Amino acid sequence: MDKGLLAYLLIPLLSAVIIPFAARRRALLADILANVTLLAGLANIAWLALRPSVIQGGFADIPGDGFSLLLVGAVYLVALCVTFFSAWFMPEGQPNRAAYYSLLLVSVSAMTGVVTSTDFFTLYVFIEVLAVTSFALITTDESAGGIEGALKYFFLTFPASALIIVGVAVMLLSLGSLSFESLRIAMSAEAPAAAVTFSAALILLGFLIKSGVVPFHTWTPDAYQGAYAPVSAHLAGIVTKISGVYAIIKLATLLRFFDGRAQALSEMLMFLGMLSIAVGALAALRQTDFKRMLAFSSISQVGYIVLAAGLGTPLAVMGAVFHLINHATFKTVLFLNSASVEKATGTTDMDKLGGLEHSMPWTSWTSVVALLSTAGVPPLSGFWSKLLIILALWEAGLRGYAVMALLFSIVTLAYFMMMQKKVFFGKKGQAAESSAEVSAPLLAPAVLMCGIIVALGLLFPYFYTYVKVVAERIIL
Amino acid sequence: MNLILIPIVLPLAAAAALLLLCERTKYIKELLAIGASLVSLLAAGNIFLQPPDVFSLRWLSGAITFTLHADNLSAFLLLAVSLFSAAISLYSFSLPNKGPSKWFYFNLLMTQAFAAGAALSDNLVAMLFFWEGLLVFLYTFIALSQDNHAARRTAMKAFLINAATDLCLLAGVCITGYIAGTMSMSEISRNKLTLDYGWAIFGYVLLMIGAVSKAGAFPFHTWIPDAATDSSAAFMAFVPAAIDKLLGIYFLARASVYLFTLNGTMQLVLMTLGAVTILVAVMMAFVQKDYKRLLSYHAVSQTGYMILGIGTLNPVGIAGGLFHMINHATYKSCLFMTSGSVERQAGTTDLSKLGGLFRAMPITGICFVIAAAAISGIAPLNGFFSKELVYKGTLDTGYTVFFLAAELGSFLTLASFLKLGHSVFFGDRPEELKEAKEAPFSMLLPMLVLAGICVAFGFGAELPLNWLIVPSLQGMNIPNPTMSGFHPDKLYFASVIVILAAVINHMMGLSYGGGKPSKSSDHIHYAPVLKEAYAMAERRVFDLYEVGMDKVVPFVSRLLFKADRAFDWALDTLPSSAAGFLSGTSRRFHNGSYPLYMALTIAGVVIYILIAGGLK
Repeated sequence: MDKGLLAYLLIPLLSAVIIPFAARRRALLADILANVTLLAGLANIAWLALRPSVIQGGFADIPGDGFSLLLVGAVYLVALCVTFFSAWFMPEGQPNRAAYYSLLLVSVSAMTGVVTSTDFFTLYVFIEVLAVTSFALITTDESAGGIEGALKYFFLTFPASALIIVGVAVMLLSLGSLSFESLRIAMSAEAPAAAVTFSAALILLGFLIKSGVVPFHTWTPDAYQGAYAPVSAHLAGIVTKISGVYAIIKLATLLRFFDGRAQALSEMLMFLGMLSIAVGALAALRQTDFKRMLAFSSISQVGYIVLAAGLGTPLAVMGAVFHLINHATFKTVLFLNSASVEKATGTTDMDKLGGLEHSMPWTSWTSVVALLSTAGVPPLSGFWSKLLIILALWEAGLRGYAVMALLFSIVTLAYFMMMQKKVFFGKKGQAAESSAEVSAPLLAPAVLMCGIIVALGLLFPYFYTYVKVVAERIIL
Repeated sequence: MNLILIPIVLPLAAAAALLLLCERTKYIKELLAIGASLVSLLAAGNIFLQPPDVFSLRWLSGAITFTLHADNLSAFLLLAVSLFSAAISLYSFSLPNKGPSKWFYFNLLMTQAFAAGAALSDNLVAMLFFWEGLLVFLYTFIALSQDNHAARRTAMKAFLINAATDLCLLAGVCITGYIAGTMSMSEISRNKLTLDYGWAIFGYVLLMIGAVSKAGAFPFHTWIPDAATDSSAAFMAFVPAAIDKLLGIYFLARASVYLFTLNGTMQLVLMTLGAVTILVAVMMAFVQKDYKRLLSYHAVSQTGYMILGIGTLNPVGIAGGLFHMINHATYKSCLFMTSGSVERQAGTTDLSKLGGLFRAMPITGICFVIAAAAISGIAPLNGFFSKELVYKGTLDTGYTVFFLAAELGSFLTLASFLKLGHSVFFGDRPEELKEAKEAPFSMLLPMLVLAGICVAFGFGAELPLNWLIVPSLQGMNIPNPTMSGFHPDKLYFASVIVILAAVINHMMGLSYGGGKPSKSSDHIHYAPVLKEAYAMAERRVFDLYEVGMDKVVPFVSRLLFKADRAFDWALDTLPSSAAGFLSGTSRRFHNGSYPLYMALTIAGVVIYILIAGGLK
């Protein structure tokens, strides 16, 4: 464990324990406690990473490898948005209010644990904790769709747990240690042992399933669509990214893809990434449900990250890390907006929606910002990460992948434009007649995230310095 | 301010001022334009007599220098341009049928300014700028001269033909400048280019195409006869008769003797082009039945003499070509002016409806007779001397065949002017024309001036040769040729034979045509082989532009349309239907069936493990 960041794990856990007792009499206390915990954590991280002196020093003072801190920041940011949104979204007197916030906070600590762990077994434990809280969170509103989604999530990802634990076992047998560091050293050898690589491949496969890469993506649409509305933002924005994609990037750097120590694995990873991009984008084109389209879009965007991680060069890893952060921002906005639309109109079926921009201008325009960022339109943040990824592919001589990645980002724009047209633009649909803009607190998270999208895009040079520090620390 | 700028800037300023005036104002526009062109003429005369300093502007940090330089040839040309501009603007004062007078004078002044600029530019790029500017005003001049579809169509025809050849000129200028390493003509002339290798030949041929097409040589002439019917007499007298000839032949001379040293092959090419132009156009002119149209074919035909003269490449021939250029501009402008007067007073230019106008319009008639005699090469008018020089130059090269072709052209020229003069000014006057009167003074004065120049340059041929042509040749570093005034040598007798032959031919034609002068060409028009050829020419089979527009353009545009559809299909229909198919398939696949999903996951796991384990 990275002990410097242990507090970010323990404090939410403590709040999670306190909440059920504190909120027994006054339900509102649960909201306040959860929000305050996360806000305090976020403020603390901002102090650590964004002090003027730190920025001027080129982020050299960042504790740890910087990657963990960045991801902890992203976890807290998304979780704060979700809890803040939930506080106003959740109807008064929902019976499991306290449990909901407790589970959210536990998932935050589990994610913090995932990103701060330094060996595979701890990683596995936190992944499992995260998975269990996610199953429970999906079913918060006890709808049929939620339960179906949770069950699918559980049954379709349990092979992942099995594969990871088998991989861990094989690694312990062959390598004698489970720490990341020992794997890194083993891979630095002239000819790494085949059994070690194979065990890492098994663990990698587990995380591929967890991150919903094609062909292991089948649980994602159902889980995201069925989940309780704010929870789908939480899941898509950060949980699946931390429980799957983070570990893939980490493994990609540990297995030293960039100097060809695990060539077959690297190629397979890139192929799966490209496949995810293609299948996700194409499937998203024809969806009629807002949330389901977002789920397929999520698969496609995860594909970009996996493709870059599979390439493994420093530039590609930078692109992957940056895209991971960007994905957290724009996908959270879109899922929160879908929740707002659902609250205002009672449906997420795009055939029934339409013309919502008149009654819900803020929701509409934050969606536009987020979708443009997803499609990689400058100067928004999504542009830079896609640019880095495509540049890295081109530099590595993978022209075909680079061109495909570029083309599918056009498809991304296409399906999001269709989404925007069907939901927000055009004539008012029957569902839009009676709806009004949601209240300001519900809009605040989306607006905040849009601000971050624009700021990250415009202040890219600073962020690039940071990500470069991260890439140097985790690769070398 | 340098005096050299006045002939360019003053007409431009006057043209801009014209646009501010209301169309309904009387006389102000006309007077403004006449005043501007007269002042320009004075300035041009001053420049000719006392060449001012070179005016240059550096551009692209000195890579290209725009230089206006009045050397002898340029100053001569500038004087000619200004003279014709002044004459035409005066002539057009009371000319009807010239379109809105505001636009007419605007176009006239713009054309004058750009022509003056092209004449004075020493830099090829600057010359090209002015040259291409003329193209714009060529279009507007024709298109605005009549408010009908035919005028716009002809304007487009003129524009496209000249645009295509101007592009050749552009390419030629680029190649020439690249080979020479400089865009300045005076610098190139210090170390002339030779046609020793492919690029130089290509560059010269492109420059030549640009020059001769401006002058209106075969096969780039086809817009001129159309413009004769679809635009005004003043336009014809100004642009195709004067400005275009002046500039085209000027630049042909520049390119052929000033910039390049030509070889025998290119000499032959130029002379052939000249001879073919003479014969083809004069054959067409001979059978025309419209005053202006007949003149317009002669405007093409006479270009042939100039090209022939310059193509001889010997000093006498070149002097003849340049002398013929200024002579032709004089008498052809005068002839077009007489056509404008006749059109104004008689209301038509159809030869079969005209006749016996000499008594009603004596001054116009006299001007016509002088100009017609001059163009036909009757001694001792100016046309005789310039043609004589061309003939002499041609004979000096040893190619007698070109001399014979030129004499044949001369014969047909005279024959057609006998027919034209007879049908318009002599013979019986039709009933409708009993009331016809002489044209107003403002139209007669320029005509008289130009006819006077024809006479003066004829009787005193030494004067223009010594004052205008010899200095121009010196400006192009050509040694002094031995010029001859009037003396009865073999060439004079040849011209007498041609005159007699033409008169006899006219008599024969009259007797064949039943005494009607307008039908006096029918015996040749409907001769056995020629009849079919003329019929084809009237169907515009030989008009490259019309053939292109009828056959090639529709084909190419259909082809491009098909190509566009194909691209559209490949870029739009194909990807969207492919994406639609794939996304439809994937949507059907994601049906929520747990066993299917699980099977897919397990299959993926198995394949992954096999590959990760090293299975190939």
